[in-house]
Amino acid sequence: MDNSFSFTKPLLETPFHERTYEACYNNDWYRWAGYKIAREYSNTELEYTAMRNTAGVLDITPMHKYDIKGADAIRFVDKLVTRNVTEIKSGQVMYIIWCNEDGNVIDDGTVFCFDSNHLRIFCAERNLNWFSDTAIGFDVEVEDVSDTIAALAFQGPLSCKILNLLNVKNIENLKPFYFDDFDLNGCKVTISRTGFSGDLGYEIWCKNEDAISVWDSLFKFNRDYKVLPAGMNALEMVRVEAGFIQPNADFMSAEQALRPNRMRNPFELGMGWLVDLNKNYFTGKKNLVDLKKKTLTKKLVGLDIQGDKPAIGSVLYDKNKKEIGIVTAGMWSPSLKSNIAFGYVDKDHMKIGSKVFAEIYHPEELEYKKIWAECSVVKKQFFNPPRRHKVPAEI
Amino acid sequence: MRKFDIIIIGGGHNGLVAASVLSKKGNKVLVIEKNEQLGGLSNYVDSLSYISEEVLKELNIKIEKDINENYVSALSDDLNHTVLKINGNKNIEILQTNASESDQVNFIKLINKYDLFARTLRSFMFKKPPRVKSGSRSDIWQLVSMGLKVRLLGKKNMRELLRVIGLNIADDLEDNITDNILKGLLSNEAVIGTNLGARSPGSILNLLYNQATNNSIFRINKYNTNSFLNSIREICKKNNVEIETNKKVEKINISNQNVNSVLLDTGEEIQTSSIISNVDPKTTYLKLVGAANLDTDFIRRTKNYRTKGTVAKIHIDFENEIKINNLDTKYLSGKFVYAPDIKYIEHAFNDNKYNKLSSNPCLEFYINKNKLSANIYFIPYLINSAHDKKKILSNVKLILEKFVTENQILSSTIETPNDIEDKYNISGGHWSHGDMEIDQLLMMRPFYGSSQYSTPINGLYLCSAGTHPGGGVTGINGINAAKQLLKDNRNG
Repeated sequence: MDNSFSFTKPLLETPFHERTYEACYNNDWYRWAGYKIAREYSNTELEYTAMRNTAGVLDITPMHKYDIKGADAIRFVDKLVTRNVTEIKSGQVMYIIWCNEDGNVIDDGTVFCFDSNHLRIFCAERNLNWFSDTAIGFDVEVEDVSDTIAALAFQGPLSCKILNLLNVKNIENLKPFYFDDFDLNGCKVTISRTGFSGDLGYEIWCKNEDAISVWDSLFKFNRDYKVLPAGMNALEMVRVEAGFIQPNADFMSAEQALRPNRMRNPFELGMGWLVDLNKNYFTGKKNLVDLKKKTLTKKLVGLDIQGDKPAIGSVLYDKNKKEIGIVTAGMWSPSLKSNIAFGYVDKDHMKIGSKVFAEIYHPEELEYKKIWAECSVVKKQFFNPPRRHKVPAEI
Repeated sequence: MRKFDIIIIGGGHNGLVAASVLSKKGNKVLVIEKNEQLGGLSNYVDSLSYISEEVLKELNIKIEKDINENYVSALSDDLNHTVLKINGNKNIEILQTNASESDQVNFIKLINKYDLFARTLRSFMFKKPPRVKSGSRSDIWQLVSMGLKVRLLGKKNMRELLRVIGLNIADDLEDNITDNILKGLLSNEAVIGTNLGARSPGSILNLLYNQATNNSIFRINKYNTNSFLNSIREICKKNNVEIETNKKVEKINISNQNVNSVLLDTGEEIQTSSIISNVDPKTTYLKLVGAANLDTDFIRRTKNYRTKGTVAKIHIDFENEIKINNLDTKYLSGKFVYAPDIKYIEHAFNDNKYNKLSSNPCLEFYINKNKLSANIYFIPYLINSAHDKKKILSNVKLILEKFVTENQILSSTIETPNDIEDKYNISGGHWSHGDMEIDQLLMMRPFYGSSQYSTPINGLYLCSAGTHPGGGVTGINGINAAKQLLKDNRNG
């Protein structure tokens, strides 16, 4: 990796760049944490279809990775996050969120437990400052290891089958939210059964020097199974279907929001299930206890929208045409054959089954078609196939 | 396990004042002091200091005022020293100087201006500082009355106060006077004990603040600290306050965000539901409470609270009685300042910024026969290294040699900010447990989330100089913290 500063090459290239560059016909790059990541390799719908029907390969190297080492590693993470992690076992992964003192969400991520003295947190935004300040008074070292680990998400119904064909032993018995070390085509890799697609899928963590070999292995059986590299646009589609929210898209990270009323607490994001108010003290607990007692004024919900025109950036209204919120992410879902979205609604429309209206401006050959679409409030998790949770996984 | 209603950690003057107030109301109080001697940093200041009249009234203490005439001498390298005579609070007379007539007039005018502003600040110096947006009626009323007090200065004076309050002292001095010695003399009062140079914004605010809490611009002392300490000790004794010295609190045990007990270094655990900590905020939160019980944002603010000490103290024993060259012996009872001009102070401050000893430090000293005790600044608190005390002594010697001749130094002791930290358990060895700057004052002292003497932990209060109104032997911090605790207990 070339870290030297230059005006002609401002974005860093991941260890997979040699391959992603070849695959990216569109030369359409997205900037993620200073790295170049393909937005669309050739066709977003095709990449999406691969992820939903065979498997897609995503370069997620820019993901921030923080090593937490020391005798207090578990205590530190427990103080940081809203969930009780004291019971975490070696080889286990937990989905976590962390809040500031007001109880507003800063970011979400996953924590991997190697042993009780070594944990690793993965997240989308930079958090070293926050982690380091949280670490004061704990016997831990927080280290940013982002640049030392290359990572691929290998997501789709055939992902386990292909790994099995690649002689990754016992991969089908890896439970969701667990990880282990495996041998992949002669490379020592860590594979976790996690992902952002809401389907059967794995994330593969390897050394930078093994990156190309790991990438090539995943495409080895492409004559029979059309595995495709997938870009960020396709990822956006699968994550909305899966009901996963993203900081600075669906809510503003409390560390980055400038306007105090733009921050959101876990209850407003529908993440109350991640908040354990009976555990030891954690940042934000005091205010979260108070917030839990209060009635919510707004909430992020899933929306099933009439028609087939995506409600991107739409404003939401009640039946009296009073503004009640906005849509944060919207799409036509090819798998579900329905028009879905995430949006904020007010306290009278939070219940599943409530009716709201979206004002959709759909561009059609240089003119906007204005659509007044009825939406019903549904669970955010639109897509959740049984194969996602099945153990052993389908080979 | 022993049990007390209230435990006070640290037997400094504020801790003892709080103990007297609380024990008067019939509470069973325990004071735990790390050192042999009670009084904390008030032992460090020269025996006389200003003690707030409100405190004396509240505790019903009568102690003699020091009625002696006070002199302040600003020493000059050319031995044309400037001497001021100070009667009472503001009657200041220039006895001898090299400055021109107009400079003298302007100097007195300037002092009167600062005195007027300091009196305005003084009116809200001794109350609990109001919190903005708390919604409490008393807080709103206090904010309004603060604004009103400033407005009552009149249009011209109000404008002038708002103009200078964020200004640096050098600018205001250079606008009004030309004499270097007079400029240095006032700058000394504005920067001593702070991390400010004469050209740092906020140095005027610091001067006004000092003046307001000490009720005198030159911090000319009023009361005998020792007799004050003895009086509060007697009150404590009368009200059965238990005082334990030579014991250190290792940890405050907290369960469910409530104070539970304290753990001593002897291994003993003492149960209580209320604690007032006379320890500085940083040590209280990071060492005694522990980061695990506090929000990360709060820890961040604690960490960023500025507590770098900048003053060292030196005690020198001379062979013979000390005389200052070209100065009448009747002025020897007063205070001496060696800060010959603004540039000199700025140079000394410059070294402080880079954590170096200034080779040409400023001095403020008192003389008692053959003993001399001086505050030397800027001597920065060092994190990872030790001070070269020999170097400090030789630097001081070089300055004193200009004024004290034909006299031998027999012995000397130096207390650097690091020594203060060790001895009194104050992080950074800062006189006021934290810089007195605009973002660390009033409702922002010590920092957001910890104002009005309370803390995020139920039953834990602060009464150290790290709270409003800051440093100095006023006793106000102790009284206000005790009152806040009593109020909270009344309200359940």
